[in-house]
Amino acid sequence: MPRLTFAGHLEVLLALTEADLRARYGRGPWRFAKWLLDPFALVGVYLVLVAVLLNRPGPAPGLSLACAVVPFQLLMATVISSMASIDDRRSIVANMAFPRILIPVAATLTEAIAFAASLLLLVIMMAIYGVGPTGALVWLPLVLIVNILLAAAVAYPASLAGLWVRDLRPFLVSFVRTLFFLAPGLVALDQIHGAAHDLIRLNPLAGVFESYRAVFLHGVTPATWQLVYPMAVAVAVAAVFVPIYRREQHYLAKVVG
Amino acid sequence: MSALIHVRGLGVRFQFDRQGRPVTPAAARIRRHCTSAWGLRGVELEIAPGECVALVGPNGAGKTTLLRAIAGVLAADEGSVEVQGRLGPLLSVEAGLVRLLTGRESCRLLCAMAGLPRGRVRTLLPELQAESGLAEAFDRPVSSYSQGMRARLGFTAIAYTEPEILLLDEVHEALDLEFRELLEARVRRIARDGGIVVAAGHDHEELERLASRAVLLEGGSVSADGHFAKVARAYFDGVEAATA
Repeated sequence: MPRLTFAGHLEVLLALTEADLRARYGRGPWRFAKWLLDPFALVGVYLVLVAVLLNRPGPAPGLSLACAVVPFQLLMATVISSMASIDDRRSIVANMAFPRILIPVAATLTEAIAFAASLLLLVIMMAIYGVGPTGALVWLPLVLIVNILLAAAVAYPASLAGLWVRDLRPFLVSFVRTLFFLAPGLVALDQIHGAAHDLIRLNPLAGVFESYRAVFLHGVTPATWQLVYPMAVAVAVAAVFVPIYRREQHYLAKVVG
Repeated sequence: MSALIHVRGLGVRFQFDRQGRPVTPAAARIRRHCTSAWGLRGVELEIAPGECVALVGPNGAGKTTLLRAIAGVLAADEGSVEVQGRLGPLLSVEAGLVRLLTGRESCRLLCAMAGLPRGRVRTLLPELQAESGLAEAFDRPVSSYSQGMRARLGFTAIAYTEPEILLLDEVHEALDLEFRELLEARVRRIARDGGIVVAAGHDHEELERLASRAVLLEGGSVSADGHFAKVARAYFDGVEAATA
């Protein structure tokens, strides 16, 4: 494998991501519209339904739900994309020597760019409920970084799982979906009481969802645990799975070749 | 340039699950009833600067596996592969080509993978389009290309990375006459400049034009190595004896 500098790694990463985005959004004037409309097709209709038709408890229930659904969508899309990431790049993996450790990062980067458009859903929800922006938005970059880092960390075990247990991919997707329901997704954390309240906080998604609510819904600084805990989980997952992936990357061509 | 390939006792092993699907060693450890087969075993090969070598042998003999091991795509399970020089691998007509991308986008990806900075690739694209001879098809998705057009695109992109070691796996056989001449000229230039060309395939006439030395692979190991005509004769004798 050629020894690449940091700049060389970055070039390969950008080339992989650019190729993914071209393949997904195509080319021409409609690609921007497709990028912008994709999140609406995925979750927008559901959110509008909840916001306009269903009578749910709590302040701005549609916005509260969007604060969970939007960040979760990044994680879910990254997991699905990562599980197929090696197979999807078969022609490159089987024929070219390059740092394959970048494949899950490229999948995350692609999904993060796609995810950027779904932030517009939060803005629309704010407008529907008449919730104005506050100074707490200065925390948004940090909240996004935590969200993206968690997705990037999970991309490594997802890629390996897609390779090791291909038949179980649908179950793994269901497992990740279950994590949404075991987090304060449909109901905000302050509406959950007793032992469930403390248990649910163990789910790293709880911190992510609540930090989005803090910034967009309540207009307050996210609590420290809401950012530190998911970040710590991301570091722990990466510490375990990146070295395993690093070893496995030498054998990827044998599996997909 | 002074390229070198030194293969010492190379072994490449493939592991399979009980349904016969290839798995990685880690997956084989956590699964039961895995089997394994050596794609290459005990391969010794030294290729000096300026040499053009043809890999011949029946299907499944290990030609592609050896090329992939030299390219650094497959890891050695035994022995080692030492390579000095910038590699230009064309290991498949599909190599590095993503069906949904256009020829232009594929060129960008291929060149970036081969180590060319993206800024430089952008300036080279008009030249690449002209050299590939794909004209307006350069901006059409690769999925609409014929095998020959894909081979042209891959060869043109790899040629622009100025490889010191060119690895060809049957790709030359998909090229038309015009491009074969270009390929032969490129091969001669690489060899003259002290580079190396290793080509595998079944079109022996074409291989003989590219290479003076041949290596016969059978059952994952080297069974003959020497002058092209002599090794090819040994291969044909073996085929005749087996079918007689």
